[in-house]
Amino acid sequence: MRQGHSYDAAAHPRLGRTRPLIGLAAATLTLAACGGGGGGDDAAAAYPDGDITFVVPFSAGGPTDTVTRLIAEPMSEELGQPIVVQNVEGAGGTIAAGEVAAAEPDGYTVLMHHIGMSTAPSLYNNLPYAPLEDFKTVGLVTEVPMTIVARQDFEPQTFEEMVEYVKANADTVTLANAGVGAASQLCGLLLQDALGVKLTEVPYEGTGPALTDLVAGEVDLMCDQTTNTTGQIQAGEIKAYAVTTAERVESLPDLPTTEEAGLPELQVGVWHGLYVPAETPDEIVQELTGALQVALQDQNVIDQLAELGAAPSSQEEATPEAHTERLSSQIDLWQPIIEEAGVSAD
Amino acid sequence: MDVWDNLALGLETALTPTNLLFALIGVALGTAVGVLPGIGPTATMAMLLPITFGFEAVTSLIMLAGIYYGAQYGGSTTAILINLPGESSAAVTAIDGHEMAKNGRAGPALATAALGSFFAGTVGTIVLALGAVPISRLALEFGPAEYFSLVVLGLIASITLASGSTVKALAMIVLGLLLGTVGQDIATGTPRFTFGQRELFGGLNFVSLAVGMFGVAEILRNLEGTMTRSVVVEKVKNLWLTKTDFRRITGPVLRGTGLGSALGILPGAGHVLASFVSYSVEKRVSKRPEEFGKGAIEGVAAPESANNAAAQTSFIPLLTLGLPANSIMALLIGAFIIQGITPGPNVITDEPALVWGLIVSMWIGNFFLVLLNLPLIGLWVKMLTIPYGVLFPAIIAFASIGTYSISLNAYHVYAIAFFGILGYVLIKLGCEPAPLLLGFVLGPLLERYLRRALTISQGDATVFLTRPLSLALLLLAAAAFVIAVLPAVRRKREVVFEEE
Amino acid sequence: MNTHRARKDLLAGAIFVGFGLAFALTSSTYEIGSALDMGPGYFPLVLGGVLVLLGIVIAVKGAAGESEDLGPVPWKAVALLVGGLLFFGFTVRGLGLVPTLLVTVFLSAMAGRRARVIPALVIAASLTALSVLIFVVALQLRLPYFGPWLQG
Repeated sequence: MRQGHSYDAAAHPRLGRTRPLIGLAAATLTLAACGGGGGGDDAAAAYPDGDITFVVPFSAGGPTDTVTRLIAEPMSEELGQPIVVQNVEGAGGTIAAGEVAAAEPDGYTVLMHHIGMSTAPSLYNNLPYAPLEDFKTVGLVTEVPMTIVARQDFEPQTFEEMVEYVKANADTVTLANAGVGAASQLCGLLLQDALGVKLTEVPYEGTGPALTDLVAGEVDLMCDQTTNTTGQIQAGEIKAYAVTTAERVESLPDLPTTEEAGLPELQVGVWHGLYVPAETPDEIVQELTGALQVALQDQNVIDQLAELGAAPSSQEEATPEAHTERLSSQIDLWQPIIEEAGVSAD
Repeated sequence: MDVWDNLALGLETALTPTNLLFALIGVALGTAVGVLPGIGPTATMAMLLPITFGFEAVTSLIMLAGIYYGAQYGGSTTAILINLPGESSAAVTAIDGHEMAKNGRAGPALATAALGSFFAGTVGTIVLALGAVPISRLALEFGPAEYFSLVVLGLIASITLASGSTVKALAMIVLGLLLGTVGQDIATGTPRFTFGQRELFGGLNFVSLAVGMFGVAEILRNLEGTMTRSVVVEKVKNLWLTKTDFRRITGPVLRGTGLGSALGILPGAGHVLASFVSYSVEKRVSKRPEEFGKGAIEGVAAPESANNAAAQTSFIPLLTLGLPANSIMALLIGAFIIQGITPGPNVITDEPALVWGLIVSMWIGNFFLVLLNLPLIGLWVKMLTIPYGVLFPAIIAFASIGTYSISLNAYHVYAIAFFGILGYVLIKLGCEPAPLLLGFVLGPLLERYLRRALTISQGDATVFLTRPLSLALLLLAAAAFVIAVLPAVRRKREVVFEEE
Repeated sequence: MNTHRARKDLLAGAIFVGFGLAFALTSSTYEIGSALDMGPGYFPLVLGGVLVLLGIVIAVKGAAGESEDLGPVPWKAVALLVGGLLFFGFTVRGLGLVPTLLVTVFLSAMAGRRARVIPALVIAASLTALSVLIFVVALQLRLPYFGPWLQG
């Protein structure tokens, strides 16, 4: 499914204006390639002059979509142009990335992608693009922490006990994930790698059904984004052992980090970044980076991300340099793990 | 707080002018997108999601929910009038609903759908209000093994959707199951039957299949030239139900509502199964099973009621546990997050005004829907007086745009052409398309639950028999199968058909 | 249009056998696994086999039967409708909504039994306008009216 929504900089009700209903339900089906003006230096000087399309490779309402919509608003305000969010689902986000890679490099087509950008080269044999060569990075946006959770009546009470238990019962413990290439699968791979065990992986068609079976006690363990697990943890429906980022999460203050719990190598977060096609002029990338940096300081963005258990990337991280560095180090990190696990998506 | 306090709080929230207005806008939009093939409720809700950023949380959810159950109403309209079902439940309605339209009884068919839906929506909402919390725990009793057994039962039930040969119906179901496997295997990521086309990784689209097998095939039949045109050859007799009609639909509506309310609670498979399990139950209990497939009003009343009851009760896992039953509920979870509400079991206690306001508004929305739809019946029926030479190109145009817009994927349009021809040929050869469509919908569920149950049990196939609920469902399925294919019974069935 | 005669069940059976074989053979190139640990090929392989069997049962029953009148086949309509749909899929990106829809609707309208060019053109123009009104103006799908192929 793909549709888009226009974020008119001037029309957000929080800014004291209301929007007409249909006019702003602007679902765009415009092809990425016909989004805006032409390329070249003149175009770069005039940028931005027209709707900018943010392509989201996952479904509307999901965590990546939510993050995109959050930053699209203040970025649109800063750039002075409407930002249209398009959801281009399919093939683990590679369809969207392929489309943006092939789009006009004029800054009017921007890709939001997450950690999957760095794992796709290892998961897919026939990727129609190369993450490092076919894109310019704009900057990192945020990193959503992941939590290691279990069914409520799973025996181990603490992270340390869980580690012991899983090592001792590796042949019977089941580990749920939200499908091939999903963040929960990646985190699960890293967990098995860190513990040196091979568990029975139970793949689901998404987080919802996986979490349902975890709440119902059908599966033992899972690793998933705070976005998805916080509500269930707070209500005591599932048991949480640790959070996989360097710092504790505000909404789950009692949850230790994996580092505190003694497994520092288990560090994984769902990092998000913005990309444009490789031939995009640097001036345009600078415009976008600048707008991103402003958006990440927006109080509403900070508050809403905190609700998701995440924080905006720092100003230093929200740069092409830091982003490229993260992308290439993550590609190197995941490649051996995915290869060793024998996971492939095509 | 007891139920009455909750309902009072809900009424207070739902009856504010803003919330009433957006409930109305939601159901009106839902009806509109339900009528058009292709653009389903999910796409529409996703489109409108950003507008709701600025609303109060409850207003936003009231509107989004309205689109969802509004679309359930709208979907039956095109199924009945032009044999063009937009989703799986409407495919069942099309079987007898379109036959009724051909017999000049489009009015009563639409009225039955509207009244049945309203009644079912009301009951579904009451179930939601009174039993949401205890019921939600029941839903968790269903693990992969139980779901697998439930889907098997559903598949067996779908044999009865066909009024002709049982073995042909079985073959159509199996072909549907196979078509459902096209796309990336969720367990391993292996793309299957995609011819290396990335566009097919997501699988075939239900709308393409339905538009092709039902809509295009029907157009080709009508262009054969032996008859002037099958669509409403007969003069429209009346718009409203007769006394006999009312008597005939009472039982089916009640049973459909009961089944739908129960099945809707089960995330994933329940809602899909509701409409056609109820259809096959009606065919089984009816004193006139031979009329099914030829315009039996029960065949419209039961699935429509079941579908709408299920649409209401499918909110139970979302509201009580924060667990999404399907992609639409997942979208509502997104709406929660955007509104700054952490979805989960605590929502019902932390945000009672939101939850109860939404529940009450669903009943109000159902009331709006019946007000909106009953007067529209006359208008819809008039649509049938459009010359066929204009109507069928319009169907092609709307279907192309609708299916293309789902994901800007041209393969969904090619699929209409492919399944149009396949449907036309198969129908000519006496194979009815409904079982194929249901096989297609249930295929991925069947495989998924089967493999998942076996993975979790570490390859122990006895899980399906040692879990009591699963065993009970399988025994029920076995009984249904025996009834469906037992030679003696079948002989009796064939006698019935030879008597025509 | 002429009519066709055939043994319906024989033909239906053959179609099912064909699909069953196609799915089964393709599945056998995927990892099969075992009944208790299924690979991606297992489920479609088994179902493909079942479909072949069902097809044979149907065909065997049909081979004994009389050949029946299949009725006329509207070849022109089949070609025009399929052509219209394929044209839509191939060109909607490049040409944009308006020109693509004009051609597709025109082709479909010509599929009618007594269709003539002028009325078909009128139908094409008015249905295109109506579709633009419904989908682009009212529902706000931003399908471009004219695509990149026409913008030089």
